[in-house]
Amino acid sequence: MRIRRIAGRAGLALLVLSIVAYTVFPFYWAIVTSLKAGSALFTVEAWPTHPSLENYEAIFRQQSFGRNILNSLAVSVSVVALSLGLAVAAAYALGRVRFWGRTLLLLVVLGVSMFPQVAVLSGLFELIRWLGLYNGMGALALSYMIFTLPFTVWILTTFMRELPKELEEAAMVDGASPFVIVTRVFLPLMGPALAATGLLAFIAAWNEFLFALTFTLTDEARTVPVAIALMSGASQYELPWGQIMAASVVVTVPLIALVLVFQRRIVSGLAAGAVKG
Amino acid sequence: MAGVTLRGVRKSFGRIEVIHGVDLDVRDGEFVAFVGPSGCGKSTLLRLIAGLEDLSAGDLSIDGVTVNDLPPAERGIAMVFQSYALYPHMTAYDNMAFGLTLSRTSKGTINERVRAAARLLQIENLLDRKPRDLSGGQRQRVAIGRAIVREPKVFLFDEPLSNLDASLRVQMRMEIAKLKEDLRATMIYVTHDQVEAMTLADRIVVLNAGRVEQVGAPLDLYHRPVNRFVAGFIGSPAMNFLEVTAAPDGSMILPGGHALRVPTEVLPAPGTPVTLGVRPEHVGVGAEGMPAAILAVERLGGETHCHVQLEDGQRMLVRLDGDVPVQAGEILPLVLGGETVHLFDADGRRL
Repeated sequence: MRIRRIAGRAGLALLVLSIVAYTVFPFYWAIVTSLKAGSALFTVEAWPTHPSLENYEAIFRQQSFGRNILNSLAVSVSVVALSLGLAVAAAYALGRVRFWGRTLLLLVVLGVSMFPQVAVLSGLFELIRWLGLYNGMGALALSYMIFTLPFTVWILTTFMRELPKELEEAAMVDGASPFVIVTRVFLPLMGPALAATGLLAFIAAWNEFLFALTFTLTDEARTVPVAIALMSGASQYELPWGQIMAASVVVTVPLIALVLVFQRRIVSGLAAGAVKG
Repeated sequence: MAGVTLRGVRKSFGRIEVIHGVDLDVRDGEFVAFVGPSGCGKSTLLRLIAGLEDLSAGDLSIDGVTVNDLPPAERGIAMVFQSYALYPHMTAYDNMAFGLTLSRTSKGTINERVRAAARLLQIENLLDRKPRDLSGGQRQRVAIGRAIVREPKVFLFDEPLSNLDASLRVQMRMEIAKLKEDLRATMIYVTHDQVEAMTLADRIVVLNAGRVEQVGAPLDLYHRPVNRFVAGFIGSPAMNFLEVTAAPDGSMILPGGHALRVPTEVLPAPGTPVTLGVRPEHVGVGAEGMPAAILAVERLGGETHCHVQLEDGQRMLVRLDGDVPVQAGEILPLVLGGETVHLFDADGRRL
């Protein structure tokens, strides 16, 4: 009996260990690589013998990486703000107001997110040219909402549906307009859902590559993922692996910090949408 | 303070009509209770008055003003919900002040009114707590306070005590009775608990399947129910109904052959079947009574309930005062009084 229990525990530990290794190893390798310089890149070692921050300096000095981070930040923050603003308004309508075609509309919203990005790329390109947004932040903010809005709307709608109807009615008796009900009664109760959906939207916008590559032209307009992919070394034939890895580490750390800060709220937010708050 | 008038009020949800033409006058300063079985439309009627549902037909006026198309906030009403519906993220103070803040009342007035209401409800020391830190009874007080500060013409209560446990319910019932004295406001109170209705209301409206069955003072409904439904609904334990026949001399032939003379306005034709209603507390025991076999006995200490079966198989509940030493299987001779029984015709109307 005891042996079986020990074996069971060992098996579980092994499984957990391999999962952790599988998920953490690439990130670990990126850190290690980013700390190496020159030809040390091509020696395999668990920790660099002469770790240096040279690559980190280089990405900010040689490349316009600081500008790229600001771009990414501006785009992601505005995508989150716009998506949440629109999604809260939509969720009130879809979750609280009875009207014909409500379910159909929800399904259409979900359906939009099922197209592969490539399918809408050329049409979207024309649209953005026509709006005069090409090679700017506006193009990215607008196009990112194609994939952030469906899930923000869905999660917030299910969350809003769970809020008790009496609360809304009490507010109506108190003289609150729908706008006041949403902003002063519902919004404060939706903290967890807003944190969860906002963070997911932020991550999606922060990491997006295809639209960012297509709708920007110059280095000043690029966001981080594109900038990293297009990083060039001293010559055409050299890929600056050290710098690429340093840049990857720099842009991943804020995401990890955000997730850790909001971790508890995300879990409760996602669960509240599914079951009951 | 003002009255509420309903004229031919109807409400349909889709193709299903749930309120079939209600006419009702609630007088200024009156406490009216809506009672009825679940699904009778009492809550819907209250929500129509509140403006949370739109009328399908008819007219509704509060204080002489037709309010059919006015939103809830402009009707001069305040509502207390069954689930309290307090705003969870606001303190008790902010909950009570919310409506006034929206109507841009000055800070000083808000403070004054909230404090006054809190004093009345004895929740002054709870004002900075959030609802989750309050007990059920305290939440209910805050919810009532939120209604009071709006200084409405009409208070609407939707089963306000049904989420409380039994002892707290009795206590809050007393407090609402006191509130009624203090405020002297028009109040409409929906409940399925007839004790609440009997003790609190000046008049009771008995609803059944979207229709008003009877409107009257609590004891009028008890003593003179207009039909079999009201007779069976008001009073606890519920009234017994026996099938009897009318004799040529106008008396009723009871199971077992006894004749009972009942003073009625209309004499039923001889031989017609009549329903005789008698409350369990109005059945006496005495010699010469109709013999009834005791099926089961429930002893409550202060009173004893006997489930009995008459000779022809009809069953009754008899309530005897005190702890009576009777046992299942014994025969109890039952005596009815002509003054305390009710007669109903085949359609359930009072004779």
